Amino acid sequence: MIKLKNVETVYEGEKTPVIKDINLEVKRGEFITVIGPNGAGKTTLLETINGLLEANGNITVFGKDIKKYGTEIRKNIGYVPQDFFCDSLTPFLVKDVVMMGRFGKIGLLKSPSRKDHEIVEKTLSFLGISELEKKPIGKLSGGQLQKVMIARALAKEPEILLLDEPFSNLDLNSRSDISEKISLLNEKGMTIIMVVHDINSIPERCERILMINNGKIIEDNEREKVLRGAK
Amino acid sequence: MIILPSKIILFAVAGAFLTGILCSLIGSFIVRMNLSSLGFCMSHAAFAGAALGVVLSFSPLMMAMCFSTVVALILGPVAEKAKLDTNVVIGIIFSLMISLGLIFLSFSPGAAMSSTALSILWGSILGITIEDILRLLLITSSIILMIVLFFKEFQAIMFSRKMAEASGINTKPFYYMILFLTGITVALSLKLVGGLLVFALMINPASSAYQFFYDMKKITIFSPIIGVLCCFLGILLSFFLDLPTGASIAITSSLIFGLSVMVSPKRKRG
Repeated sequence: MIKLKNVETVYEGEKTPVIKDINLEVKRGEFITVIGPNGAGKTTLLETINGLLEANGNITVFGKDIKKYGTEIRKNIGYVPQDFFCDSLTPFLVKDVVMMGRFGKIGLLKSPSRKDHEIVEKTLSFLGISELEKKPIGKLSGGQLQKVMIARALAKEPEILLLDEPFSNLDLNSRSDISEKISLLNEKGMTIIMVVHDINSIPERCERILMINNGKIIEDNEREKVLRGAK
Repeated sequence: MIILPSKIILFAVAGAFLTGILCSLIGSFIVRMNLSSLGFCMSHAAFAGAALGVVLSFSPLMMAMCFSTVVALILGPVAEKAKLDTNVVIGIIFSLMISLGLIFLSFSPGAAMSSTALSILWGSILGITIEDILRLLLITSSIILMIVLFFKEFQAIMFSRKMAEASGINTKPFYYMILFLTGITVALSLKLVGGLLVFALMINPASSAYQFFYDMKKITIFSPIIGVLCCFLGILLSFFLDLPTGASIAITSSLIFGLSVMVSPKRKRG
């Protein structure tokens, strides 16, 4: 489903690649967690897979080159960024932000249909945040905003879900709730790649862990083996 | 109070109505995208164009419109290619345009000719013709149509361009479209409120609308309504107090913005 061959990503004005020699294959329905120290290249890896960063090497998602068909491919990838920020006067309501996740899928010159609105409502209810629907996005707490960004990614009904530190800003109850829901989605066939820094927050259902350090994948193995080594 | 023929008043009012809608509609986008300096940059591109028109003995207004349109067309691609923040490119083009304008004026014969170029910066609502009104009507309808057709894409970009891209929207053409439409708006509004004051009409009504709503759709609807109100009140002020029309509209819009901040429900506690 996702193939990266000899991939490296260098940021503008930098000489050293943030990630390098990345070779990775992800099968449909896998649940992978990416761990590693700060600045190891975890976020860069996610954004490279999503085609949001220019990279060298071959990256194919759904069998298509991300460089050529990025916009098309991203219609089926849900992406939750790390620590998304909205200022308090941001002029968007929660339901509008969640609906925006579907815009690519809805396509040009079409307005959201009744079905699109139903999906948004269903997604908000799935994450237990229906009551936030009409709230201004800038008035939410960090945890609420995080859940809205997850809802936005899920409203797309994606085949692949990329999560960058999805548990940051969440309290313990919310963490376990979101963790359960992510696992449920994977159970239903969604491919998930998740970045976390806290190994204790890795859901039980995740069977494969990638460890990144200095921009390189230093370990790619079964959950237990990697965690044993890490501890 | 000066007594004016009814045709001039009618044209002035129609021009004000359309410019109010046009500038404030586009303003609701550029305020959100922190591109407020765009109007200022385009105005000075118009000034440079008008100055060149004076030197070449060609219609200053036509040249002003050409310059604004060209700047609007190249701004987005230049910022993208140079990998610079659009505001940085706007700043550079602004200084380039004002310098070009002054150089062109230094070649023009006499102060009277220079004042023709400078008049582009101030505008004259009472000199508006039926052709200007038809042009404004055409471009206002086209811009409204484009906004209706691509509202969801514009909305997504205004929330976050990166997240819009992640949603599967090719943001580049829409981002360029906003810049281009702004250029066209400035070019066509020049004759009414002038290059400098078109800036106020783009920013003030939109910023006022932002004080009342959290919903982008409502802001996009109310910004032009406030814009039209500013234009009408500004014209009335200008007629009754015998003040320059452009400046009166700008002052009115600033006062309305100040008032909006004071009564804004967004700033109230409890």
